[in-house]
Amino acid sequence: MQTETVAPTRAVSRGIFSSQMLRTLFAPLGQLAIWTVGTAVVLSLVVLLLALIFRTSSSGVDRFTLVLSILPQVIVDSMVLGFVYAMIALGYTMVYGVLEFINFAHSEIFMIGAVVGAEVLISLSEAKALENFNPLLLILLIIAAGMAVSGLVAVVVERVAYRPLRNAPRLVPLISAIGVSFFLQDLVRMLESIWRNAFYRTYPDVPSFSQRISFGDTLDVSYKSIIVVVAAIVMLLALNYLVGATKIGKSIRAVAQNRATASLMGIDVDRAIALTFLVGGALGGAAGVLYGLRFSTINPYTGFIPGIKAFTAAVLGGIGNITGAMLGGIVLGFLETFGASYLSIFTEGAFGAEYKDILAFGILIIVLIFRPKGLLGEVVGERA
Amino acid sequence: MPLLEVRNLIKRFGGLTAVNKFNYELEKGTIASIIGPNGAGKTTLFNMLTGVYVPEEGKVEFNGNSLIGRRPDQITFLGIARTFQNIRLFNNMTVVENVLVGMHARLRVSIVHALLKTKRFQEQEQRAKIESVRLLDYVGLGGRGDELARNLPYGDQRRLEIARALAAEPRLLLLDEPTAGMNPQETADATRLIRRVRDELGITILLIEHDMRLVMEISDWVTVLDYGEKIAEGKPEEVRRNLRVIEAYLGKGVASSLTPEANSPRPEVETGFTPPDQAAAPTQNDGQER
Amino acid sequence: MVNRHSISMPFSGGKAPPWARLVGIILYIAITFGLAYSLEDILPRAAEIPLTLFESLAFLAFLGSAMILYYQPIPKVAKLILGILVLLLLMPALGLRNGYYLEVATQVGIFAALALGLNIVVGFAGLLDLGYVAFYAVGAYLWAFFGSTQAGLVLTSIKDFFPLGGEWFFLFLCLGVIVGGLAGILLGLPVLRLRGDYLAIVTLGFGEVIRVMVNNLDKPLNLTNGPQGISPIQRPPLFFMPLLQALGFDLEPRQIYPIYFYLLVILIALIVIFFTRRLDDSPIGRAWIAIREDELAAQAMGVPLVRTKLTAFAAGASFAGAMGVLFAAKQIFINPESFTLMQSIGVLAMVILGGMGSIPGVILGAILVTTLNLQILKALSDWLNAMRQAGTVLNLGFIQYAMKNLPVQLEPAKYERMVFGIVLVLMMIFRPEGVLPASRRKLEITANRETPPEAVSATPPVTGGGE
Repeated sequence: MQTETVAPTRAVSRGIFSSQMLRTLFAPLGQLAIWTVGTAVVLSLVVLLLALIFRTSSSGVDRFTLVLSILPQVIVDSMVLGFVYAMIALGYTMVYGVLEFINFAHSEIFMIGAVVGAEVLISLSEAKALENFNPLLLILLIIAAGMAVSGLVAVVVERVAYRPLRNAPRLVPLISAIGVSFFLQDLVRMLESIWRNAFYRTYPDVPSFSQRISFGDTLDVSYKSIIVVVAAIVMLLALNYLVGATKIGKSIRAVAQNRATASLMGIDVDRAIALTFLVGGALGGAAGVLYGLRFSTINPYTGFIPGIKAFTAAVLGGIGNITGAMLGGIVLGFLETFGASYLSIFTEGAFGAEYKDILAFGILIIVLIFRPKGLLGEVVGERA
Repeated sequence: MPLLEVRNLIKRFGGLTAVNKFNYELEKGTIASIIGPNGAGKTTLFNMLTGVYVPEEGKVEFNGNSLIGRRPDQITFLGIARTFQNIRLFNNMTVVENVLVGMHARLRVSIVHALLKTKRFQEQEQRAKIESVRLLDYVGLGGRGDELARNLPYGDQRRLEIARALAAEPRLLLLDEPTAGMNPQETADATRLIRRVRDELGITILLIEHDMRLVMEISDWVTVLDYGEKIAEGKPEEVRRNLRVIEAYLGKGVASSLTPEANSPRPEVETGFTPPDQAAAPTQNDGQER
Repeated sequence: MVNRHSISMPFSGGKAPPWARLVGIILYIAITFGLAYSLEDILPRAAEIPLTLFESLAFLAFLGSAMILYYQPIPKVAKLILGILVLLLLMPALGLRNGYYLEVATQVGIFAALALGLNIVVGFAGLLDLGYVAFYAVGAYLWAFFGSTQAGLVLTSIKDFFPLGGEWFFLFLCLGVIVGGLAGILLGLPVLRLRGDYLAIVTLGFGEVIRVMVNNLDKPLNLTNGPQGISPIQRPPLFFMPLLQALGFDLEPRQIYPIYFYLLVILIALIVIFFTRRLDDSPIGRAWIAIREDELAAQAMGVPLVRTKLTAFAAGASFAGAMGVLFAAKQIFINPESFTLMQSIGVLAMVILGGMGSIPGVILGAILVTTLNLQILKALSDWLNAMRQAGTVLNLGFIQYAMKNLPVQLEPAKYERMVFGIVLVLMMIFRPEGVLPASRRKLEITANRETPPEAVSATPPVTGGGE
């Protein structure tokens, strides 16, 4: 977690809204914007160029027109996916920064958020309370519910399954985390089966979310997409503030730097680690709710693939690095959506969207082998 | 021609130069020591000699072979073996097995021979086991072969590390603080063992040590490092009288008020002590000092 | 990875004399066999009585007899005879009575062999491989492709050759070893430099890549037939049929094949055990364990890191490749569903439960996890279903519960993941060395020595420093 270690300590401790503090608060916004726009531009240029070179397909379709016509939609979808990945990736990266440990169960924390969001919405809809609800309040409510439950589960998991193993060899807590991941999947399935007699859940239709705004002929953005992106940005800024400019954040960063020293400085290490899990878990839960809102159908096994991709994003950005995780998520979201959308156009259907998971794993493997530091991160290699 | 020849060796960690323009020659059959305060770059030097770190600049020639760019296992094969500052045994293997792993570079067996348990394979294994037992006898661990390495007392673990290193049949043995954490009796035993290894087996020895008494008693040649640079070199009695060395250990001003007796540089020496429990814990910088 | 070194002799049963042990184990085998064989006749049939559950437990106890036998300090001949009796006579007899027993026993054998292969990678070399099942898939699809008409769809010019005859199966069993090993090396080369936890995630990714590819490689070339899977796949020929008939056994192929595959699996599992033991007691095995214990020290002792890890990867993968070929032939039909991450985790759970690096432990892990998954969870499901259908009302004194209110979706048989998860977490927290921890081999020559411990011999050892 080596981001912004030069946090403006004095100004913050006095709680004054100084210009420096505002800079800490909003610095990532600029970086996010640059990377989002940059990735979008680069990838768009690549596909357009390819479409120009291989302009006509064997069936006589003009690829350039085709590519161009769906491009705006692809970019919007990329952003939605990218921000979801970014939020999940933060959970991996924060825990890694503090404990040097891959929290394999984080994908299930994300899934639990999605399930909780669905259950709250379904309960409201069954109570016929959905129509009268203020949409903004409704979003806040389900996100808060998802965050609360996911954060708590993450803390409990840490307490029960990781803390006893904190000084064990590296692979021991990792295996435990894999166990937790599988356990949580079936636990949610069991609870849902007992309670609802079904474990595939669908987010009920909220009319005010389903509206769309049209921009010209080619672009048509749903409210849901806008909600996802806006909510994600707000969360990311809040996290940045929390980690970079509060006492809690300082304790987390201190523990990440050196656990023993932090403890000597009077920081409660256990508490700081629990807080890390709480914050990371809550973000994962929020991501789960947003994911559910956007993609509707979820089940206890929904978490696995987005989880592994978000981990890829964290590695891509440089694991342990908070800003890196956000950027990695966005870049991965773009790469995946572009791949899924355009691969079949260029290969005439021989390879299509079904290979998008392979794409993510391929990126993971390539990054780990050739640039283990990630885009802006910490060294992954073994210490001598 | 010297057995080991180091020219202009440089290693940097970020902005810190851990070893700077280090030149060194080691003649066959000597016992040489490298001393210096903590963080002087001694272990970093060992790590470069054994291929764990790749130096930024410089040449290392051993017995006519350049060592730069070779992997640790290749360097072992060429004839350099080492022990570690915080003991690094294979804890869940038996004592004999630890020594057998030390022979790995010399045991050339294909997987097929092992699967079919051919005669050649069995003979080689038998010979290796007998040899391991003799080595254990030699370092004073006779009869302890079937214990798990982690169950050995601290001093015996250090002996086992030496036995394991000897199993590689090295020409040069690098010992990183071989008596750290030992009581006087154990230190005396270790001193005797080191000398015998040189006298009886003809192995050249280079050691890092904080215990001045041992260094002065055993070494033919002493080199002093401070902040990555060689500040003095010579026979033990020459180094002992060297003002720069005393300054490096005790700070300027102190040197003039103290007689440089062998037992005097205690303050720094004590910090070189690594208690056994701490050595076993996964510290952040295993064996690497800055 | 192992923190405690404890029991060396499980199931040893105190200080009983050998004859008493012999009688004891024979009684044990007889009772468990009898129960597994005849429980369905003894117990009354009622929805409340979980017959299949009791049967599965009796069967598990019977399977366990092989393990208990292994640890008894009784004469080797007696062990061997009893072992042959249990594995080669009683088990097939049970199989003729109830085919599912034999199916479970065969699966136990397959998973034991897989777990032993993974044990080399995870237990010996300490490399966490979460995509192990990919190599199993490689072997399975190898035979499925050539042993069915699938190859004819691709190699159209020589399509009359396919499916290859059943006798090719044995050649492909060997090919499975080679192709599995090659796949292991191909994957290992780029990733084995990574640190342990990254290796785990990358192998997991590799497993998923193989699964996605198998799922989608029905176009542009139809190599795998996609999600529908490949069927029918050739089985090995019953070349001993005439012999059986001459001996007066008039069995149909339908009855013979399960026993045939069971015996094949047992044979291969024994070969795998044999090879694993040999490797364990060789410089290669020691190098693997040394790497697991301390990479840096192992390297400093002359162990080439990447090459040694590669051999571990290749050895483990080659076992999986061979078992894959066998699996394809046994099932006749395979599809991507059999090669999911869950399978990899299941095999990992066996290794962890039994004890990383411990051969008997891993076999015990395979027995426990496989029977739990295939039999016990299923039996629980059946029991609940039977009670639901019979309208049973549970009366626990203070609480009454009408079983018909039990949600239909709640099927214990579907909770394999929970089992794996609980096994992994609990073992890591409470017993990371496993149920039957690995114990290092004592080396005979040191045991027989009479030199007093502190004697320091005056003569230099043979390892004269070269000078």
